[in-house]
Amino acid sequence: MADSISSVCNLAILDKLSDGSIEEILESYNGFCAATDTLLNGAGDLSVGPQFLSHVHGLCKHGLESLLRDHFLGALERTFEKNGALKFWRHFEAYDDVSVEEEVFYNALEEISLEKQYQEKCLLILVHALQSYNHGSHDSNDYRVELFAKYQMSVSSVLMATLPRHFPEILHWYFKGRLEELSTIMGGDFPHDDDEDDDDDDDDKDDMDLDDKCKVSYRSGQMEIDECYPQGRFLDNNKLVNNIGKVVRDLRSLGFTSMTEDAYASAIFLFLKAKVHDLAGDDYRISVLESIKGWIQAVPLQFLHALLAYLGDSVSYDSVSSGLKSPLASCPSTFYPGIDTPSEGLVRWQLRLEYFAYETLQDLRITKLFEIIVDYPDSSPAIEDLKQCLEYTGQHSKLVESFISALRYRLLTAGASTNDILHQYVSTIKALRTIDPAGVFLEAVGEPIRDYLRGRKDTIKCIVTMLTDGTGGNPNVSGNTGDSLLEELNRDEENQENAGLDDDFHTDDKQAWINASRWEPDPVEADPLKGSRNRRKVDILGMIVGIIGSKDQLVNEYRVMLAEKLLNKSDYDIDTEIRTLELLKIHFGESSMQKCEIMLNDLIDSKRTNGNIKATITQTSQAGSELGDNGVSMDVFDATIISSNFWPQIQDESLNVPGPVDQLLSDYAKRFNEIKTPRKLLWKKSLGTVKLELQFEDRAVQFVVAPVHAAIIMQFQDQTSWTSKNLAAAIGVPTDILNRRINFWISKGILAESLGADSEDHVFTLMEGMVDSGKNGGTNGSIEDLIVADEEGESSVASVEDQLRKEMTVYEKFILGMLTNFGSMALDRIHNTLKMFCIADPPYDKTLQQLQSFLTGLVSEEKLELRDGMYFLKK
Amino acid sequence: MAAVNQDNTLVVATTTAPSNSKQSQPRAKTVDSQSVLKRLQSELMALMMSGDSGISAFPEEDNIFCWKGTIIGSKDTVFEGTEYRLSLTFPNDYPFKPPKVKFETLCFHPNVDLVGNICLDILQDKWSSAYDVRTILLSIQSLLGEPNISSPLNNQAAQLWSNQDDYRKMVEKLYKSPKA
Repeated sequence: MADSISSVCNLAILDKLSDGSIEEILESYNGFCAATDTLLNGAGDLSVGPQFLSHVHGLCKHGLESLLRDHFLGALERTFEKNGALKFWRHFEAYDDVSVEEEVFYNALEEISLEKQYQEKCLLILVHALQSYNHGSHDSNDYRVELFAKYQMSVSSVLMATLPRHFPEILHWYFKGRLEELSTIMGGDFPHDDDEDDDDDDDDKDDMDLDDKCKVSYRSGQMEIDECYPQGRFLDNNKLVNNIGKVVRDLRSLGFTSMTEDAYASAIFLFLKAKVHDLAGDDYRISVLESIKGWIQAVPLQFLHALLAYLGDSVSYDSVSSGLKSPLASCPSTFYPGIDTPSEGLVRWQLRLEYFAYETLQDLRITKLFEIIVDYPDSSPAIEDLKQCLEYTGQHSKLVESFISALRYRLLTAGASTNDILHQYVSTIKALRTIDPAGVFLEAVGEPIRDYLRGRKDTIKCIVTMLTDGTGGNPNVSGNTGDSLLEELNRDEENQENAGLDDDFHTDDKQAWINASRWEPDPVEADPLKGSRNRRKVDILGMIVGIIGSKDQLVNEYRVMLAEKLLNKSDYDIDTEIRTLELLKIHFGESSMQKCEIMLNDLIDSKRTNGNIKATITQTSQAGSELGDNGVSMDVFDATIISSNFWPQIQDESLNVPGPVDQLLSDYAKRFNEIKTPRKLLWKKSLGTVKLELQFEDRAVQFVVAPVHAAIIMQFQDQTSWTSKNLAAAIGVPTDILNRRINFWISKGILAESLGADSEDHVFTLMEGMVDSGKNGGTNGSIEDLIVADEEGESSVASVEDQLRKEMTVYEKFILGMLTNFGSMALDRIHNTLKMFCIADPPYDKTLQQLQSFLTGLVSEEKLELRDGMYFLKK
Repeated sequence: MAAVNQDNTLVVATTTAPSNSKQSQPRAKTVDSQSVLKRLQSELMALMMSGDSGISAFPEEDNIFCWKGTIIGSKDTVFEGTEYRLSLTFPNDYPFKPPKVKFETLCFHPNVDLVGNICLDILQDKWSSAYDVRTILLSIQSLLGEPNISSPLNNQAAQLWSNQDDYRKMVEKLYKSPKA
């Protein structure tokens, strides 16, 4: 083969050759080949050196330098393949899987490295031979560089060509194993280097799984820690890093540079990931970002630093010039030793590791964002972490997508109560406000929640309750769980104002300039359709009102709730309500809260009027003392006088109150008329509360009940048994209502129900002896657990749904009216006509779709007919 | 106990009954269309909510001054089972002037002429602003059963009125159910 190469390559030289020189060449060549063989296979025998030298010189004289170089390199390659590569791979053949024992790995590397080193020595001999032949004429380094580069190429190509498929895996597992080992050792030091000022408890956890010996020995040695990357420790103390360094160096010299880097980089990343998961866990009450960063400094960066430093010591030529640098490879300057400041490569590594850590933590937190927000504000450290991560990675859209799908899956389901959804919504707003002050992502995340809530009937009610139900308005109690959202919002607002940034109107030029220079563009993810940053200022109340669509509905619902609350008050204490109203006024404006204000004023007026009337009344009933102990004194009676036009519709149930009370009422009304002529009182006898005491032979029981309950039980004073029909007639309520209401007394064990002669007509009997005392046993006289709410939550004020139904009946009448006069109409025309003419209180404000479904309802009730898109009256 | 304060002034203000007390005569000259609109709207609301059977009216699509009305013949009269369409046109100074009311469906009646003009005192000289659409329609409905034979617009009808059976046949013969 060598001959053929020579004959091809050196044709020009051949012409000039004389017989003598041919002889000489052949002899030298044969000698050279023999010497080469001896050299390469001679197992360390370099004694043929001088002989080899002379042959080389001989051949060079005839200009056959390239021939001998090719031959020598070819021989090297063949030998390496036979002695090095095959043997090397044989070490791993036994292992099908990737868990190669460390020892085997070291041995294999050792062996092949020795072989390579030997070959390099041989190559060096050739280099010297060539150099000594034409010293001076050639730059001595040229040979060396050129030949070694060629050799390196052939070594790596031989290895690559014979590479078993699982070798990269083996490398990966090797590094992984070493890193784990290292981390266990380093773990002990980690809290130390990390942040000495921040003596976290959670770090102790990491200490726990440590070998005590390690901890002690490392701690004692590590008190003086170099500002930046202390390198001494590994090189001095740790054989492990040396081993790893050696392995990396060996692998590099074998041409596995990029594969090695891939392997240890992926091992580091995997390990970092595991560490992040381990540290972050499911505890959102502590910030983990700092400890993760600390850990990166303490373990992987130390490792890399030591590694790079080690390689820097020993690597002289290969990796720099190999041209096989992977994109992961650090800048060459890292490989040179003697660095005290972090090298550029190390900084890059740090950035990469930190980015990876941020990303991992971010992904981890994003998948758990739902839980985190449930725990808000306890989980605010986790939110803060996430914010930092996102600032670093900019992957906000990931958060939005993932969180929305979590919401859909976990919150926006039929099983979740509206209250929970609302609370989560508020928490979401607050939490995301931290992450994204501009509110861009909030918009995207909030949309599905809002859409969903709009479909729930009790949304408005829940919102109002949430807004207004506080601790009782005590301003001293702040930040408690019982605090209403409104209070909280107000506090927030005050804080914001105190913080100083006033609105544009009050800013002078200087402030304007400062604001302008502080301007930042919207994040790129911002939807340009959704308005500019200023309009998007996060306003929790605004976002909540946004669910309902208009504040009017909210105000209306509040009015109903307020009415309910006020009507059930037995004193005139409305401080809480006044405070809430003032807060609402701030947010919704004076005019929209006007009716509520009148309601409160009614209460205030009532208190005054009530006092006035009671002080001046001439009690005629008192004179009629034949009433005996049935007589009711005016002193125990308080009235609430309301301006019904400003109150929500009040459910009026007829009721005959007991005679003495009725007398009292008319006296009161008379006096009112005298004082406030020409105004007259119209009693709503079914509303209000009655405190009463039932006296039995052996005891007395107190109750606070609705008037109808009181009226029922009063009837049993003189007659201990009533049929339901008679009783209903006596107190003036329909029988079915009586049957429902009387259950209260039955459940208290005061009355007993039995079937009468007529199955429709039940008989109620007073239980004089009080058989059961299980329910309120031992509570004689103790008033607190006897204060009872109206069962079934019956409300004295028409609810918003009732009002809605009423609205709909108005529409129905209008629709029937117009169809009577126009015969048939299309949906559009009905819609427009309603818009035009149905402008009563409240005006027609439905959408075409709402109207259509309403009309469909009327069709199914057989009131209307629909033919060819036209609605007709059903005749 | 809670009580409701029946405030007199408020009651008047919120009832939908014509509130003539509020609109004093001097203001009538300068009555603006806004108050007419308001009045008509409240009349419409009252009419819709009144639930009177047999009478109905509703403004035309874009003009609240032009209404269409419907009257159903009262039971036990010759007009039983018939339905008549009317038009009501309100003047700009309503309610100080009466609306113009015409039958749109042919109505064979002593006080209704062949083009639908109605002879009814409250629509002419006896008009008062206390009347409203509802009372007008109720008056016309009762006029159907109790015509004023002494001043007929339709002499044939006036003469035939005494014979109720023949009259009924005539009504049925001439009646065409109104279609929109």
